[in-house]
Amino acid sequence: MVQSQTPRSVREDLNPNSSSISSPPSGSKGPQGKVPAETTRQLEQDFKRKHLGVLGVLVWILVVHLAGIWFFKKGFLLTRMVLEDKSSCDVLPLDDSASLSQTRDGCWHDKSFDKAVVIIIDALRYDFTVPFAPKDESESVHLFHNNIPVLYETSVNNPANAFLLPFIADPPTTTLQRLKGLTTGTLPTFLDAGSNFAGSAIDEDNLVAQLRNAGKNLVQLGDDTWHSLFPGYFDANLTHAYDSFNVWDLHTVDNGVTEHLFPLLRPENRTKWDVIFGHYLGVDHAGHRYGPNHAAMAAKLQEMDRVIRDIIAALDDKTLLVVMGDHGMDIKGDHGGESDDEVEAALWMYSKKGIFGRTTKDTLLPPKHARERFVPQIDLVPTLSLLLGMPIPFNNIGSPIEEAFAGSKGNDFANLLAVNRLTAAQIKRYQHQYVIARGAGEDAESMALWAAAEAEWKIASKSKTAAVRSSYDLYRRYQRHTLEICRGLWARFDVPSMIQGIAISFVGIALLVFYARGLKGDRTELTPRLLAFVGVGSGVGAVAGAASALLALTEMPTVEASALLGTIGSLLGASLAIFKESSNLSLPLPNGMWGWLAVFFTVSQSIGFASNSYTIWEDDILLFFLTTFGVCAGISSMRQKATTGRVLGVYHSILFIILGRLASFSRLCREEQMPFCVSTYYSSATSSISAPWQLAIPFTVTLFLPGVVRSFYAGSKSYEGAATLWIGFAFRLGLLVTSMFWILEAADDGEWLPLRKDTLKTVRVFLAQLVLALAFGAGTGAYLYTKPCVSISVSKPQDDPNAPPAPIIAGQQQQPRTTLTILGFGNVYGTRFFFLVINFALAIILMQKPMGQGAIALLVWQILSLLEILDTNALTLTNSAIGPVVLGLLGSFYFFKTGHQAVLSSIQWETAFIPLSTIKYPWSPLVVILNTFGAQILVAIAVPLTVLWKRPLQTHDRVSQPSSPSAKLINPATKMLSDVVQAATSHILYLATINLATTMWAGHLRRHLMLYRIFCPRFMMGAGVLAVVDVVIILFAIAGVRWSTLSVGEIFGW
Amino acid sequence: MASPFSPASSLSPAASSSSTSGQPLVEKPPVPPVNILPSPTSQIYSFVQPTLLLTLFAFRFDALTANPARELLNSLPWVLLLQLSYVMVCLPPVGTVPSPSSSKVTDTGSPVPGDGERKSAPRSPSSPSVALRPGKPGYRRKQQTGKNVWAGIWAKLMPAFLSLALLSLLATPVLAILLVLFGAPLTTQNAETMLCAAHMAVLSATALIYVHGVDGAAWKEVWGFALPADTVWGGALGTGLGAWFGAIPIPLDWDRPWQAFPITILVGAYIGYAVGTLVSRSPFLYGKRIRFAPEDNEIAEKKKN
Repeated sequence: MVQSQTPRSVREDLNPNSSSISSPPSGSKGPQGKVPAETTRQLEQDFKRKHLGVLGVLVWILVVHLAGIWFFKKGFLLTRMVLEDKSSCDVLPLDDSASLSQTRDGCWHDKSFDKAVVIIIDALRYDFTVPFAPKDESESVHLFHNNIPVLYETSVNNPANAFLLPFIADPPTTTLQRLKGLTTGTLPTFLDAGSNFAGSAIDEDNLVAQLRNAGKNLVQLGDDTWHSLFPGYFDANLTHAYDSFNVWDLHTVDNGVTEHLFPLLRPENRTKWDVIFGHYLGVDHAGHRYGPNHAAMAAKLQEMDRVIRDIIAALDDKTLLVVMGDHGMDIKGDHGGESDDEVEAALWMYSKKGIFGRTTKDTLLPPKHARERFVPQIDLVPTLSLLLGMPIPFNNIGSPIEEAFAGSKGNDFANLLAVNRLTAAQIKRYQHQYVIARGAGEDAESMALWAAAEAEWKIASKSKTAAVRSSYDLYRRYQRHTLEICRGLWARFDVPSMIQGIAISFVGIALLVFYARGLKGDRTELTPRLLAFVGVGSGVGAVAGAASALLALTEMPTVEASALLGTIGSLLGASLAIFKESSNLSLPLPNGMWGWLAVFFTVSQSIGFASNSYTIWEDDILLFFLTTFGVCAGISSMRQKATTGRVLGVYHSILFIILGRLASFSRLCREEQMPFCVSTYYSSATSSISAPWQLAIPFTVTLFLPGVVRSFYAGSKSYEGAATLWIGFAFRLGLLVTSMFWILEAADDGEWLPLRKDTLKTVRVFLAQLVLALAFGAGTGAYLYTKPCVSISVSKPQDDPNAPPAPIIAGQQQQPRTTLTILGFGNVYGTRFFFLVINFALAIILMQKPMGQGAIALLVWQILSLLEILDTNALTLTNSAIGPVVLGLLGSFYFFKTGHQAVLSSIQWETAFIPLSTIKYPWSPLVVILNTFGAQILVAIAVPLTVLWKRPLQTHDRVSQPSSPSAKLINPATKMLSDVVQAATSHILYLATINLATTMWAGHLRRHLMLYRIFCPRFMMGAGVLAVVDVVIILFAIAGVRWSTLSVGEIFGW
Repeated sequence: MASPFSPASSLSPAASSSSTSGQPLVEKPPVPPVNILPSPTSQIYSFVQPTLLLTLFAFRFDALTANPARELLNSLPWVLLLQLSYVMVCLPPVGTVPSPSSSKVTDTGSPVPGDGERKSAPRSPSSPSVALRPGKPGYRRKQQTGKNVWAGIWAKLMPAFLSLALLSLLATPVLAILLVLFGAPLTTQNAETMLCAAHMAVLSATALIYVHGVDGAAWKEVWGFALPADTVWGGALGTGLGAWFGAIPIPLDWDRPWQAFPITILVGAYIGYAVGTLVSRSPFLYGKRIRFAPEDNEIAEKKKN
C-alpha cells in the first residue's frame, strides 16, 4: 500500500525525520525477530496491571478532593435550623386575656375572605407590570414593557379593590426556593438551590399545610414543583400538574392552567374548592428561551393580561385574587442569582369587596420602580394567612402588608395594630423557640423594641389616641429588626468544618505536588506501596472516627467522623509512602523558565480570586495569560537552532495567540461586567437565542474543522488508516448533522417552517441522538478496536496474508533486500490517542449554541497548535508542567467562551432538551454538565497528549542494551504511563490549586458584600470543575491510554 | 526574577548548542552587549534622560488622565526627541558596534583607555564578557576617524533617521497588534491603542535600531530575547515587562479615571523602561542573558530514561 501523500499544511516535509522512517534491515534489528512471545505478554501484563494501579491512585486523589470540598461546603453553605413546631388555631401567640376572650370569625383574626385564587406568573418582573418609566434618558421602550397593563390600571382606578407592589425575592431566585419562601415565610438557604432538579417535601410549618389542616380543599394547576414540595396536599381530581423544566415549550403549561382554571370559577363549581394555586410558566420559559426583549415575551405577557381580566370577570365577592411573580429575570431572561433584575418581582392583590387602602396619599399609585416601597416576598405569608383567617405559620418572619389591612379609607389603624401585634407575637414566639434550640441568648435590641411596642399598645388599648399608630410602628420595627437579625444569623458559618475542608484540600495539594512534580523515575513503581498505605491509613482512620463518634468523644455524626479521620488517615499513609524513600524524591521546584511560568500562571490566578474584580474579569485575564504563553512560546521557538523547528514553532505560537484572540470575541457578559462588556453569544444582550448569522458557524465548523485536524495528522504523515475514515468522514458527518440540528432549532424559534412543533422536535431529538451515537457509541467502539494511524509499505512485497501484522515486520526483516517504510511513524501514540479527543469534541460541539460551537472548534485547533509548540520546544519529552497548565487555562478560558460565567444563572438548563424530550435521570444532568464544563472536559481528555504527541516509538529492545539480556527488563510502556500520569496529575494540580484558592477566599471573605454574587458561585464552579475533571481523567483520559498503548504495542511490539 | 539570568559564558545559546547540535551551519557568535559611550556628557546624560522622561510623564499625568489620546499625540514628538537625543549622545551608532560576524576584531582591542567609570570597574576579570565589551572600541575608532565633525554627526544622524522610519513603519504596528492580541479592544479606542504602541515603540525600539540597525543576527536575538543585558536591551525589555504589569490594575473596581485603557500600561512601560535601562547596566546583570529552557543536562537525563 504505497501512499501518494500530499500534505497541505506548512508542516510538509519540515520534519521528515520523525514522520517516516525508512528502515533498511540491519543486523542490529535482528533480535526483534526473536523476541519471545513470553516477554511480550509479560510486558503487556505489566502495563495493564500498572495501569489499573494508577487508576486506583487517581481515584484516591478524587476522594480526597471530594472530602475537602464536602467538609468545606458543610460549614460554608448556609444552614438554618428547621423547627418542627406548628402554629395552631387554638393557641394564640399572645397570652393576654383581652385577646383570648374575643370571639372571632377566623383563627387568630377576623378573616376577610373565604376563598382565594393565587396565580403565580413565574418570573413576572416588576417593570413588566408598570408603565414604562425610563431610569435614564437613553433607555427606550422594550418589547417586555407595557404589555400587561391590567394590574396597574386596576390599582390606579380602583385603589380599594387592588394594589400593586414590588415584591422582592430572597436569593437564590429559583422557583423551588421561592415557593418555600412564599409558603413558609422564612428565608431560604443557599445550598437548597442545588436541589432544584429534584425538589423535596417541606416539613416546616407552612401556609398550604395550615389550609389543608383547616379542612380547606386545595387545587393546584400548572408547575409540578408544588407537588414535590407538598405531596398529597391537593385535591387529586381537580389538580392538574405539568412538567416544569421543558423551557422550550412556552404554551403547554399555560394552556393547561387556563383550561382547568376557568371551569372552577363558574358559580356551579365554586363550592368544590377553597383555594386555587395556579402557576403559569410561559413568561419564565419565554425569558429562558428568547430573553425578555422578544416578541414571544410580549405575546406571552399580553396573554397573561387577558387571563387576568377574565379571572376578574369571573370572580365573586368572597374570593381574593392574588397575582405575583416568584422572581424576576436578568437581561437575558435567566434567574437564580441575586442581581436586582432577578429579585424584583411584582405582587398584585384584588378583590371585589373593596377593603384595600393606602395610609398616605404618597402611596396611592404603584411605585414607578421596583426599589421604591417594596415588600419582601415572605410578607405574603402573614398577609394571606390573616386575610383567610388562618394561623400564621410558626417559622414566619414576614410582616403583614399594610395595603391589605388599612381599610378602604386607609385609616383603620386599629386593624393594622391588631394584625401586626399578632404577627410580632408569633415572630417573638418563634425567636424564643429558636434561641432555646440553639442555646443562644436573645437579642437585646429586639427585646427592647418589643417591650416599647407592648407599652405603647397598652396605652393605645385604653385610649384610642395616636398611640395606636406609634404602637403599630413599633411592632413593625420589631418585625423588621428580627428579619435583619435572621438574615445575619442564617449566614452563620461552621468555621471548624470549613477549616477541616481547607486543610484536607491543602494537604492533598501538597502531596500532589510531590507526586506530580517531585518523583524521580517511574511513578508507577510507587503505586503498590502508595495504595497499600492509603488503604491502611484510611481504614484505621475510619474505624477510629467511628469509634470516637460512638464513644461520644466528638459531637460529629458517626459517618462524618469516620469520613474525616479516614481522609486524614489516607493522607498520612500517602505521606509515608511518598516520603519513605527520599532518594526517589527531588525538591519539586520548577526548573527553567517554563516551569516558573506554569507556577506563575497558577499562583497569580489563585491570588487574583481574592479580588472580586479579578473574579469578574476572569475571562479577559485568561486571554492575557494565554497570549503571554504564546509570546513566550514564540520567543523560545526563535531560539531554536534548526530552521524547521524555528519556523514551525513561531508559526504555531502566532497561530495559538490569534486563535485565542479570535475566540475571545465570543462572550457572554455577567451583570457586574457592565457597561464595559458587549455580549455576542446571543443575538442581543436581552436575548438567549442565537442570531441568524450565527447559524453559519456550525456549517463553517463542519467545513473546516476536519480539514484542520487532518492537516495536523498529515504533518507527521499520520493521516493513514482509521484516520481517513474517522476524521474525513465520521467526524464531518457528525458535524453536519449537528449543523442541521441547530438549523431546525432556529427554524422552530423563528417559526420558519410550516411544520408542527411536535414533528420538528421529534426530528431534532433524533438528529441529536444520532450524533451522540456516532460520538460515544461508534466512536468508543472505534477507539477501542482501531489500529494506529500508520501505513506500512514494503518496497519488495512478500505477501503473507495469514500472518498478523507484527510478525510481518519481523518477517520482512529476514529478507535482506526489502525496505520497510512506515508512514505516520513519528506520531504513532499521539494520533492514535487523539481519536478520543475527536469523539468528545463532536459530542461537546453538539451541546453548545452555534457561537459556542465555533469556540469549541477553535479550542480543538488551539490544543493541536499547543501540542506542536510543546513538541518543537522539547517540552513533551521533558514532561514540563507548562503543557498541562496551559491546557487548564484553555479549559477555563473556553468555559467563558461557550456562553458561561461563574454565576448560577448562566447555566444553560435548556440544553438538557437537546438529545431528550423529557427530563430523564441521570442523562439530563449529564447533558447539562457536558454543556457547562464542555471545554474543561475536552482539555482534560487532551492532557495525555502533552506527553504522547510525537513521542518517539519506544519498545523494550530499542531502549535496553541488547548486550545485557540478564538485566531487569525495561518496560517503556510503563515509563510512558508514568509520564501520562505526571501530566494528568499536573493538570489536576492546577485545578486543585484554583479550587483551594476559591475555597479559601470564599471562606475568608464570608462577610463580604459580594459573597453570594461572586465568591460563592466561583467556589462552586471551581469545586464542580475539579470533580468533573477528576472523573473524566480517570474514566476517559487515563483509561483511554490503555487502549491506544495496547494497539500500538500490537503492531510494533512492546 | 534573578534566577533566569546566568552568566553569558556558560549558557548563551551558542555556547550550549555548539556542543550538542552537530549541524554544519556556521554558528554566528552571539551579539555582544553595548555600553554607554564613555564621555562624561554621555555618562551624565544617560542618567538624566530616564529621569527626565519620568518627570515629564509625572508632570503630564493629569492631562493624560483627562484626555489620553490627545495628550499621547501631543507628547509623542517630545518623547521621540528625547529618545533620539539620548541615543545620539549616549550610544554608539550602528556600524560602530561590532557586528557578530566581525566580533573577532573586538577581541584585539579590549583594554579601553579612559574607562574609569565605576560601572565597569567592579567587573571581575574572570568574566569572559570583558573581552566582548564592544562600545568602547567602536567609540575609539570613531574618535580616531572623527576629524570631520560633519561626518561624525552624519554617522549619528543616519541611524537616527533609520530608527524614526522603522519605528513608525514597523515597531508601532507590531506593538499595536500585540496590544490587541493581549486583549486591547479591537473595534474601539483604536487611536489610544496606536498611540500607546507608538510610545512603547519609541521607548523600546529607538535605541535597538540605532545600535543594531537591521542586522539580521542581532534581530534574531531580539526576537529570541537572547540579547545580553545592556542599557539598550534592558530598556526594551523593561518597557515590555512594565507594560505587561501595567495591565494588572485595569480590571479593579476602584473607579479611578487613570484606570482607563492605555494609561496604566504606559505608566508601567515608562517606569519599566527607566528601571530596565539603568538596572541592566549594573555589573550584576550587564552582559548576562535570559535563560529559557531547563538546563541541557536535565533534558539529556530525561531523554536517557
